[in-house]
Amino acid sequence: MKKFLHRFRDYAALVLILVALVALFGSLSNHFLTAATFNSVANRIPTLTLVATGMTLVLIIGGIDLSVGSVLALAAAVLGVLLVDWHWPLLLSALAAVAVGVAAGFFNGFVCVKLRVPSFIVTLGTLEMARGLAYLTTNSQTKYLAGKVDALAQPIAGLPITPATLLAVLVVVAAQFMLSRAVIGRKMIAIGTNEAATRLAGIATAPVKVFVFATAGALAGLGAICQSARLGASDPNGGVGLELSAIAAAVIGGTSLSGGKGSVVCTFIGVLIIATLEAGLAQIGASEPVKRLVTGAVIVLAVVADGLRKKSQS
Amino acid sequence: MKKQHLYLLAALIGLAALSACKPAVPADAAAKPRVALVMKSLANEFFQNMAEGAKKHEAAHATDYELIVNGIKNETDLTEQVGLVEQMVAQGVQAIVIAPADSKALVPALKRAKDAGVLVVNIDNKLDADTLKQANLPVSFVGPDNREGAAKVGAALAAKLKTGDQVAILEGVPTAFNSQQRRAGFEDAMKQGGMKVVSVQSGQWEMDKANTVASSLVTEHANLKAILCANDNMALGAVAAVRAAGKTGQILIVGFDNISAIQPMIADGRVLATADQHGDQLAVFGIEKALAILKGAAQLEDKKTPVDLIAKP
Repeated sequence: MKKFLHRFRDYAALVLILVALVALFGSLSNHFLTAATFNSVANRIPTLTLVATGMTLVLIIGGIDLSVGSVLALAAAVLGVLLVDWHWPLLLSALAAVAVGVAAGFFNGFVCVKLRVPSFIVTLGTLEMARGLAYLTTNSQTKYLAGKVDALAQPIAGLPITPATLLAVLVVVAAQFMLSRAVIGRKMIAIGTNEAATRLAGIATAPVKVFVFATAGALAGLGAICQSARLGASDPNGGVGLELSAIAAAVIGGTSLSGGKGSVVCTFIGVLIIATLEAGLAQIGASEPVKRLVTGAVIVLAVVADGLRKKSQS
Repeated sequence: MKKQHLYLLAALIGLAALSACKPAVPADAAAKPRVALVMKSLANEFFQNMAEGAKKHEAAHATDYELIVNGIKNETDLTEQVGLVEQMVAQGVQAIVIAPADSKALVPALKRAKDAGVLVVNIDNKLDADTLKQANLPVSFVGPDNREGAAKVGAALAAKLKTGDQVAILEGVPTAFNSQQRRAGFEDAMKQGGMKVVSVQSGQWEMDKANTVASSLVTEHANLKAILCANDNMALGAVAAVRAAGKTGQILIVGFDNISAIQPMIADGRVLATADQHGDQLAVFGIEKALAILKGAAQLEDKKTPVDLIAKP
């Protein structure tokens, strides 16, 4: 119990903000506190959760991945073309989409490590390239999937949540386990804290970094599958600005932009905060300027609140 | 238990209590139909006008229905628009009046909405007929004939040009049906007038993108005589590009939508013509249709709304 409370304290500020948002929107709208809202939030988060998980890992090693949104669009484009135009079976097409993500992530990691280009720059380049390839792959047309991947975004029989949400939650758990229990996770934190010292301690940093970027790419690929399932279409314009939402979720969750610190579970709560905010603002019909003002303010507030909590603890 | 935990607990309980004691739904409000208007980018004045027109209509008919208005950040953000449709279903609205950002990709989400018992009325950008048929989703479309409107604008331009003159078309997001229709209307008029379309490119409906594309068009085609833009935002971008190239007056520009920024340009000739599809009334037509169907006073059929040519007299 003591351990649980101790754990809970790490999430306290975030959970509090989440609860406050739910209460706020609940009092502003008579229709917000319903199972339908819960389901719609639960089922819209898989893509952002997956991508933000990858982003958290990259931020922890002191990198950044700006390409996730475009890589997601490219993976979705490949999925759509393989399914619709080439008539590949679903499983193979999905694997290909993830493979595209891995390849893009591997490219990011490889250029970053071997050619010593900062990840900000490499992934900025990949952001453009992957978007271009997504347009080329689909001929700039949205591919309508006509129910081919719907199952992933349909609620599991008897449950309110979809397989996509379940997958995203499992990935969060697995990534958190890797980060806090597995050797590679400790290595990642060491690299983010002090890469030179880690190298001098005899740890090969290059493979770890490439692995992290490839993982972020793979998760963008998975995110693409979830998004295509939800849209019932693969959209080459998809994922624009997703990298910023993912970074926002990670930062709300207390991930340090300078590396060495972060938690996937906290990022997940960050995703929930963003998704609840979006859902609530839409349901009360807030105007576009208000939406953006409030969203920005909540991001800053969440980070400040989390910082205050840590300060009071130490 | 530490002090902090107590504070936390107190706060949680307080919030839970707050959310539990939200006001109960008044009986008459429950009987009033709730209609959601889901639009595209509210950064685009056209949709801003549409939203204001709809809100005015709601204010004038406050006893008849309740309106929730939403739009997305940029024209291509399908995911956000699908999210909005889902939120509106969660809000328990009776009807969704939507200007879809994509003619095909919104269909599955709207189908889910219909399966949840929500009436769907399509305005502005027509959903793809084949996709609707595949999804078995009958919707009624309330909107202008974009092809006819664009052809009118194109004809006004053709009257100022000579046979064989070179023209370029700036289309919107190529996947959007209204963009395809306007492009087709422009092409119809140019063909009829005997002009040569040397390039068709997308400005993604946005001023900035259109400016970049128009600049390169002007450089690449030295004899270009006109640029036909599928909306006024892009026409504004084209006007700036033509001015930057020092060719104001030599290259004619037409747009579509009749936004307020374009009106002084029509007056001084920087833009030759545009089309007014009465955007402020478009959502209202859609809402009225939805209310009529809800009451059982109308069928699920399409309704054509007027498009007028706007040019300097």
